[in-house]
Amino acid sequence: MSLATDSRRSPSTASSPLRRGRIPAGFVVLAALGVALVALPLLGLVLRTPWPRIGEILTSETALTALRLSLIVATTSAAISFVLGFPLAWVLVRGTFPGKTLVRAVVILPLVMPPVVAGVGLLAAFGRRSGLLGSWLYEWFGIQLTFTTAAAVLAATFVSFPLAVLALEAGLRGLDERLEDAAATLGASRWYVLRRVTVPLMGPQIAAALVLSWARALGEFGATITFAGNLQGRTQTLPLAVFEQLQTDTDAAFAVSMLLILLAFAVILALRGRFLR
Amino acid sequence: MRKILILATSAVLLLAACSDSNDGGTTGTTGAGGGSGGAEAELTVSAASSLTEAFGKIGNAFEAANPGTTVTFNFGPSDGLAGQINEGAPVDVFASASPTWMDSVQDDGPGVTHRADFAQNRLAIIVPADNPAGIENLDDLTEDGVQLVIAAEGVPAGDYAREIFQNAGISKAALANVVSNEEDVKAVITKVISGEADAGIGYVTDVTPDVSDEVTLMPIPDEVNVIATYPIAVVNGSQEADLAQGFVEYVLGDGQQTLAEYGFLPPP
Amino acid sequence: MTLVVDVTARRGAFEVRAAFEAEVGRTVALLGPNGSGKSTLVSTIAGLLPPVQGTIALDDAVLDDAASRVHVPPERRPIGVVFQDLLLFPHLSATENVAFPLRARGVPKPDARQRASGLLERLGLANRANARPRDLSGGEAQRVALARALVSEPNLLLLDEPLSALDVGARMRVRELIRDELASFPGARVIVTHDPVEASVLAERLVLLEDGKVSQTGTPDEIRAAPRSRYAADLVGVNSFRGILEPLEVGAGLLVTGDGDIVAPWPEGFAGGEVIGLLRPADVTLSLDLPDGSARNVVQGRVTSISVEGDRARVRIASAPPLVAEVTLASVGRLGLRDGVVTWASFKAVEVEILPT
Repeated sequence: MSLATDSRRSPSTASSPLRRGRIPAGFVVLAALGVALVALPLLGLVLRTPWPRIGEILTSETALTALRLSLIVATTSAAISFVLGFPLAWVLVRGTFPGKTLVRAVVILPLVMPPVVAGVGLLAAFGRRSGLLGSWLYEWFGIQLTFTTAAAVLAATFVSFPLAVLALEAGLRGLDERLEDAAATLGASRWYVLRRVTVPLMGPQIAAALVLSWARALGEFGATITFAGNLQGRTQTLPLAVFEQLQTDTDAAFAVSMLLILLAFAVILALRGRFLR
Repeated sequence: MRKILILATSAVLLLAACSDSNDGGTTGTTGAGGGSGGAEAELTVSAASSLTEAFGKIGNAFEAANPGTTVTFNFGPSDGLAGQINEGAPVDVFASASPTWMDSVQDDGPGVTHRADFAQNRLAIIVPADNPAGIENLDDLTEDGVQLVIAAEGVPAGDYAREIFQNAGISKAALANVVSNEEDVKAVITKVISGEADAGIGYVTDVTPDVSDEVTLMPIPDEVNVIATYPIAVVNGSQEADLAQGFVEYVLGDGQQTLAEYGFLPPP
Repeated sequence: MTLVVDVTARRGAFEVRAAFEAEVGRTVALLGPNGSGKSTLVSTIAGLLPPVQGTIALDDAVLDDAASRVHVPPERRPIGVVFQDLLLFPHLSATENVAFPLRARGVPKPDARQRASGLLERLGLANRANARPRDLSGGEAQRVALARALVSEPNLLLLDEPLSALDVGARMRVRELIRDELASFPGARVIVTHDPVEASVLAERLVLLEDGKVSQTGTPDEIRAAPRSRYAADLVGVNSFRGILEPLEVGAGLLVTGDGDIVAPWPEGFAGGEVIGLLRPADVTLSLDLPDGSARNVVQGRVTSISVEGDRARVRIASAPPLVAEVTLASVGRLGLRDGVVTWASFKAVEVEILPT
């Protein structure tokens, strides 16, 4: 049996020992409930959005500013998560060192932390008064991180970084390292192997890492409002704008929420065909 | 649809209001107006966050005076609270930090009864105890680089702060120093306590005994200051209308002393 | 172009020690059963696993010197490797795979593609140039892997189990192709395999590897003529027995194996101990009745299988110890040999070759 045929994809109608097409009725019910759980709020949002006013709301200064800021913050955050996350994933997958389990646990922690707690943690690290690093930065260099766009980026990165690392880890683990060995024997330097073999083979997982962390960064609220504050044009990202609007102009809140949803949908759809399966 | 939002908010509030039943029999489920003394009853009160400490104490006293009653508070920015009520949240009593939002419930919402002003409050500049930016008065707030935090527009404390700036003729410079618009006045205080903000505009009453070590009050001159008037009312549609009225009367009566203890001024 | 290998390599708990040379024009086959250390040696020669001891040199270039901590990384070795699992890059087409070594070394894209296409054409794959590895048949993929290893004109070609992944039909064709390519390859060549036929066809010199050690080297004929180990004997179809040789009489000993005892010559100067006894199937005589010759070894057993090779037959007998005898087809008929028939087998003591282990 040739290896090439082994690696040939089997026909999509792979025969399976299980009866095809027979899904337990109970599963169908539960699955439907699951879909409903997610779909109902979305449906409610669509129905509640003031469609006649939406143009006026979304082109308002508040909305546009928040949109622009959100895009900048989320994209910067995703980029940082990738640049730091890829080497970290590499080290976690291929390195051996004492305390690796602990390191991994620490890196995953923001994922299960309530965002406001994350915000408090960020203050404890980067606040100008009580922050471990922040107070030093402030005293010696006069640098204050809170209330800046950088703080918003920091907050968004903190909560979305684990997602990037997890996705990249999965990608690296799924690689056949022997392909990298083969590339080396064929004359490729380590950097060339990374560029031309490792990363291309990890395409889908890299895309997933970027999308997941970008989406999480886009939606970040608790840590941002606690650590970065809320100021239009500087730290008021879309979620913060929605929250503020919710207090005064619920119509606008729904409209901007719809914008967020549509943004997320657009990204998911754009990548669905190629990468996210 | 409105109905879905009503259901959702109701569900959340009900869950919050459902405390463990006291000893003995439960009366019927919520809505079965158990008005007579001694029967179990739950009262939901939405109150401005500046009333947190004072109303907490008042709530306990009211419960003690009306055995079988549980008072559940929903503290937050008055604009947000009014919004919830207007969307149908099942609130019995609403206490706002400004008449504006009581008007909103009255005109755009379910309406109110037994409306009365029950307190007044002054605003002040609040700085961290060590006052790193050396703020002494309103004009200092216009200095370059001052990190000033106020509540957002719509939140009474935020509107009042802006009004004060306007009164003092320092709007442009002061607003330029605002680094964050907080969702309620308590968040302003938190930012000042943590030392991240150089100064904030909050209520005099916000410097409670708990935080008096960590912050200092700088008074605002009367001629530019705003006196906030706090109205309270029973929300139409309340299932505990009698009890709600009782609570309003309590606040207007015995509760006045508590309010004074916490620094509130008597109603006009 | 000569490859000189003299190393000890270690992977995990397994250690392999080998020393051999491969010159231009004489393909060397590393032949051994699975687990003998072949793959480890391939990794070491390729530069993926530095040896714990010893040297590897290609002409004047020292690729590895454990003592002076010299280790040339794989990407700087002038070698071409065809791996057992081929390891074609799944995200690249056949042409791109073949062009990879050139591109990695900085050859501009058009030149690289041209050379790659040319090579693929020579190997008969012109019409598969743009196919992905998953769409190639076993034989086609093997040829692409070969082209990829050859394209950068390396000084050493290393083929790891080149035919093992192919089905029988493809195997013969690809074997011929590899033989032709090797013949025209101007550098040193090393093949690694477990198949003695493959080794004999493709290589001029065999290095037998067993349990991490070289047990014998020589041309296929030399080994066939004088196998020096049980594995070699099994390879060339010779009976082999392992046991303790105990003194019997002057010049002779009794080889005590777990399956039976054999009278064999006592090697000169042998002090006793464990040995391997080798016996050619052709030296075993079969008869229906108890033989009355001078053969010292006479056993009886049931025929378990008969396989015909040309005009001869190899007969397996479940005697103590079990034997393989080689007889003419005529004898099979005359003796009425079939599975299950009981027959006598005899051989002279002097026909047993003793190899001290």
